[in-house]
Amino acid sequence: MSTVRYETAALLLPPAPARWPRRLLAAGLTGLVVLAFWSAAVPWERLADLPGEFLRYLWLMFSQPNWEKLPDAMLQTWRSIAMAWVGTVLGVIVATPLSFLAAGGLGPLWLRAPLRGLFAVIRAVPEIIIAIIILSVTGLTPLTGALALAVGGVGTLGKWGYEAIESAPTGAAQAARAAGGGTAQIVRWGVWPQVSADFLSFWLYRFEINVRASAVLGLIGVGGIGDMLASYTQYRDWPTVGVLLIVVVIATMTIDALSSRVRRRLTEGARRRA
Amino acid sequence: MTSGANGSAAVPAAEPWGIELKDVTVRYPDGTLGLNGVTLSIAPGEMVAIVGLSGSGKSTLIRAINGLVPVTAGEIAVGGHRVEDAGARALRRLRGEIGMIFQSFNLAGRTSVQNNVLVGRLAHTPAWRTLLGWYRPRDLDLAHRALARVGMLEKLYNRADALSGGQQQRVAIARALAQEPRVLLADEPVASLDPPTAHTVMRDLSAINRDLGITVLVNLHALDLARRYGVRLIGMRAGTVVYDGAATGAGDDVFEQIYDRPIRAEDRVASITGEIGRDASTGEPE
Repeated sequence: MSTVRYETAALLLPPAPARWPRRLLAAGLTGLVVLAFWSAAVPWERLADLPGEFLRYLWLMFSQPNWEKLPDAMLQTWRSIAMAWVGTVLGVIVATPLSFLAAGGLGPLWLRAPLRGLFAVIRAVPEIIIAIIILSVTGLTPLTGALALAVGGVGTLGKWGYEAIESAPTGAAQAARAAGGGTAQIVRWGVWPQVSADFLSFWLYRFEINVRASAVLGLIGVGGIGDMLASYTQYRDWPTVGVLLIVVVIATMTIDALSSRVRRRLTEGARRRA
Repeated sequence: MTSGANGSAAVPAAEPWGIELKDVTVRYPDGTLGLNGVTLSIAPGEMVAIVGLSGSGKSTLIRAINGLVPVTAGEIAVGGHRVEDAGARALRRLRGEIGMIFQSFNLAGRTSVQNNVLVGRLAHTPAWRTLLGWYRPRDLDLAHRALARVGMLEKLYNRADALSGGQQQRVAIARALAQEPRVLLADEPVASLDPPTAHTVMRDLSAINRDLGITVLVNLHALDLARRYGVRLIGMRAGTVVYDGAATGAGDDVFEQIYDRPIRAEDRVASITGEIGRDASTGEPE
């Protein structure tokens, strides 16, 4: 008796959504790609040489790496990581209170828009440009690199922070308010416990970014592995450049792997249900 | 173990407070009328069940009493203290004397049960201590006693989100008790719980009123819970009080009058299976 029977009469379908917006978008994107290739004036005839040249440089760098430079390379890598770490800590110290002030419902309304604007402007400027600006004050020192990373960190950490605060469940904060808590107490016991794991994860992720960025910052001469890499590339000392690359890649991958493992535990712990 | 039976760990109660509402109107910014000229007098130590369909204004009533919802017109006094024209500081102190329980428990899930219950001490402890987490021994003791009262002391160091719904609501009750409140407001405290757990939580609230003498106002939409656990019954519809009388005598006709429609099956929670299946049905983790 459970046979399902369908009506044989024609079904009344809802009107189909218009197709032209999607087609217009596709045409526009295609046009953009064509325009980009045309503007970049790619020398196609030299593209054929690329694989060969690439292999030749790989051979120059890695056929006989200059292992004598290994201790120096490791020291400079350590300096870069230290620069990244100092930059992360300074960025966290500045960004954390700011992200609470920028969050909807917590900070004063008049401060929210300027803070969010500040975060957006900082994110729009690459760290290397920030470093060049700071350079004029602090000179060619690792501190310049750390400060540039700290400023860059305020842009990203500030945004991630207020977004996490705004998307966190608000019940605990409401309960703290109902129990007679003031704003600081509500933030401490109603908001912070809900977002602290996210914040820790953001800090680690920013450290990963800073480790990579610190190598790039070395290129402008603020010290660290990037500085060394730039010099030996200019001397065309390929066996040393090879060693430097090996050290940079291994160090960065190790930090990435460790940090992302910790971050996964943090976010999974946050979602843990018994 | 019925949680309310743990009398030895009773939290010493402060003198309960009464509640006075005089012609209270609440209009929300979007123009909705939450309360429409409500006048009520609740004596210290009363156990009041407020019933009504969703949108009837019972949640607005509860939230106006502790100032979570601002009053448009009229006067509210809790224990003789005016709520609607209290300054920020006075309002915080007043809220410290009024415990509140929510439908969705409102615990900070990612932190310990102890930290959640200590939220009940925020208004009674110097702010710098609470910010640093340096609670005084007395605050910790009050938190522990409140947890023992609802039978949740063993979960002290568990994360709040590792508990079942019924356990979370009992932790939330402990948080309110840790305030040593003079009034307890409960906004649909059992609407997210299954029937046996709902009865357990209602028994806890009932015992708090009976043993500690605290004034309890509880919003419900299930008529059998209201009849069973309320002593005084207040019915609300469209922001006004449409019934006010004893809960025990209220028949289905009273609820039909409050709801303004015939009683349906879903108006009851039923299933007073009590202890049987309580742990199984809530899937309490061990």
